[in-house]
Amino acid sequence: MIAVRFHGRGGQGAKTASRILGTAAFLEGFVAQDSPIYGAERRGAPVAAYTRIAREPIRERGLIVHPDLVVVADASLIPDPAARVLEGIDERTAVFVNSPLTPEQFHAQGSLPGRLTTLDLTDIALQQFGKGGAISALLGVVAGRLVGLRQDSLREAIVRELADLSLAASVIERNQAVAFNCYDAVRPVLVEAVAPQPIPPAQLQRPTYEPPTRGTARISAAANSVLRETGGWRTFRPVLVPDKCNGCWLCFVYCPDGVISMTKDDKPVIDYDHCKGCQICVHECPTDALVAEREKEGGVAWRAK
Amino acid sequence: MAGEMMTGNLAAAWGARLAGVDYIPAFPITPQTEIVEALATWCESGAMAARFVTMDSEHSMMTAAGAAAATGARVFTATSSQGLLYAMEVLYSISGWRAPLVLVNVSRALAAPITLEPDHNDVLAARDSGFLQIHAETCQEVLDSILMAYRIAEDARVMLPVIVNLDGFYLSFTREPVILPAPEQVAQFLPPFRPAHLGFKASAPHALGVAVLGGTPYSYFRHQMHLAAMNALDVHSETAAAFERLFGRRYDVVEGYRLDDAEDVLVMTNAFASRGKVAVDAARAEGRRVGLLRLRMIRPWPADAIRDALRSRRAVAVLDQNLAPGQGGILFQEIAASLYGEPLRPRALCSFIGGLGGKNLSEGEFRAIFDQTAEAGVRGKGIGPILLYTEAEHREMTQLQALAGGLNS
Ligand code: SF4
Ligand code: SF4
Repeated sequence: MIAVRFHGRGGQGAKTASRILGTAAFLEGFVAQDSPIYGAERRGAPVAAYTRIAREPIRERGLIVHPDLVVVADASLIPDPAARVLEGIDERTAVFVNSPLTPEQFHAQGSLPGRLTTLDLTDIALQQFGKGGAISALLGVVAGRLVGLRQDSLREAIVRELADLSLAASVIERNQAVAFNCYDAVRPVLVEAVAPQPIPPAQLQRPTYEPPTRGTARISAAANSVLRETGGWRTFRPVLVPDKCNGCWLCFVYCPDGVISMTKDDKPVIDYDHCKGCQICVHECPTDALVAEREKEGGVAWRAK
Repeated sequence: MAGEMMTGNLAAAWGARLAGVDYIPAFPITPQTEIVEALATWCESGAMAARFVTMDSEHSMMTAAGAAAATGARVFTATSSQGLLYAMEVLYSISGWRAPLVLVNVSRALAAPITLEPDHNDVLAARDSGFLQIHAETCQEVLDSILMAYRIAEDARVMLPVIVNLDGFYLSFTREPVILPAPEQVAQFLPPFRPAHLGFKASAPHALGVAVLGGTPYSYFRHQMHLAAMNALDVHSETAAAFERLFGRRYDVVEGYRLDDAEDVLVMTNAFASRGKVAVDAARAEGRRVGLLRLRMIRPWPADAIRDALRSRRAVAVLDQNLAPGQGGILFQEIAASLYGEPLRPRALCSFIGGLGGKNLSEGEFRAIFDQTAEAGVRGKGIGPILLYTEAEHREMTQLQALAGGLNS
């Protein structure tokens, strides 16, 4: 069995990518299983999805703790402990990262073990589609290439999964074309099913009674959500072009995370420590006074929190 | 590989579609929503001839479902968690009317604290409602069980509603290959619904669920429901045989996995039983004689099948994915009751509580279960309830508590 784990941010298409991979494998006669795990659905929040591919019926379910291939849709997830990207990765795990950085640069940072390959899918999507957005077809096809699936089955899988999301035929075709550029461009690394090592019995904890101040699900720390700096979630940063702003406050109203405040002269100020980069303000601004600029990974502008 | 990739939710919707239901009252709730969305789409497009109605709550939804079934319509509906609890009062009425509809429950742990992920306190809260219960392990089993559920429910020896349960996320959102039975074969398997005691005809009025005071008629009618539920054991076997003849897949009230020479047996239900089987294989590979018993039918309680499977074992571990505060695992109690009168009962009966709120059941936890159960078997004394909750997880929990309390951990 090959176990593939996808990590992405809500809205990037990790779940659909896992389905494209599952469907393609299934079309080639394998048994496949795919499933997403997301908490409260929130744009930008870490999402994981799992695809298992085998010749026999699959009994494993849910979490993949020992992946053979990990597909990382957004490098900012790597240092985020909540995303658990590094879990179960060792030097034999194949890892794909959507990033302009090379595997050598990642190795030099010491942040990722494993057989690494990278490609800047976000940039490709930006060049080809003219905007950042879901890169599910690209991720799915890259994963398919790495595990050795055929182009024809991946092509068909994209059609089925994107049609399932009610995308127009022209959009699907465009996604296919761009995805297969990535198919050709990604440098293959060996993906092999690693026989699982026996795991020792879990050390169980016997929780004891605690007073209800601790023993009930209760938050007494006021305003501690500011501690969670979601600025590291951003792939794109909304930037104000002050001359174009008419001071209508729409960005303020639409920002789902309430990170825009307005000055006395009706200009938005964005709290970049917490702006998660969803681009809703960019879409809603009637005068195009907010533009999306790609965060520079590895540069000063990019910092994962 | 035959079939199509589909989620447990879509498989449930297909079950209703293939059963040719007449009426679907609906109310959405995570993680069930995809079921009613699919059915709504099919009813809208004409792929299904059923009448689909969105109600204002689960309470209204179940009321409409029961009332429609009482007119002789074949009815399907689905809910989850809080929705099932909100509809609870109506469940008892529907079973009392002996209106045999099918309700899918997508398990999700109950509030508070609130979560979206599964455990079985929701569906087991309905265990005494008079609804029969079938708990599925795979997406295929979800679909197949719905077809079987209609045939069992509508049998004149039973005439009780059925809940088919599937786990949220682990089945509801998980896609795996599912074979769609041919509609002609389903028609052969599932005859049209023609109940003698239900129906709506102006020329033949009747009252259902009438008032009965004094206790005697009440005792009689409630006991009739019990007998009807018990009849479902035999009707299930007949149904399973007919299903196997037509579709080639066999489902019994319980499923034994590598039980033949097993000295210790782990009892589980639902989707995590798949992982339990992987754990059994791993333990077997190391020479340990362990097996797994999966309970598929929870109501009626298949006591004989359970006794047959557990008789003469050294030790039995019951893994409850539920918790009755102040008592322990719900299925553990029922297994213990079934084994009490058994002369060759296992030397030790162990109770484990795991997978609450969808918490992963890890390989290491299964190993801990097998180790502790074997020791208990040697000692000849049961243990539990033991929470499957690791030291590493507790460290994370402590950090969360510190954050929530504004303390530095
Ligand atoms: S400021 Fe804009 S991009 Fe940032 S979170 Fe708010 S709406 Fe999203
Ligand atoms: S929506 Fe655009 S124009 Fe309106 S206040 Fe925000 S930036 Fe200015």
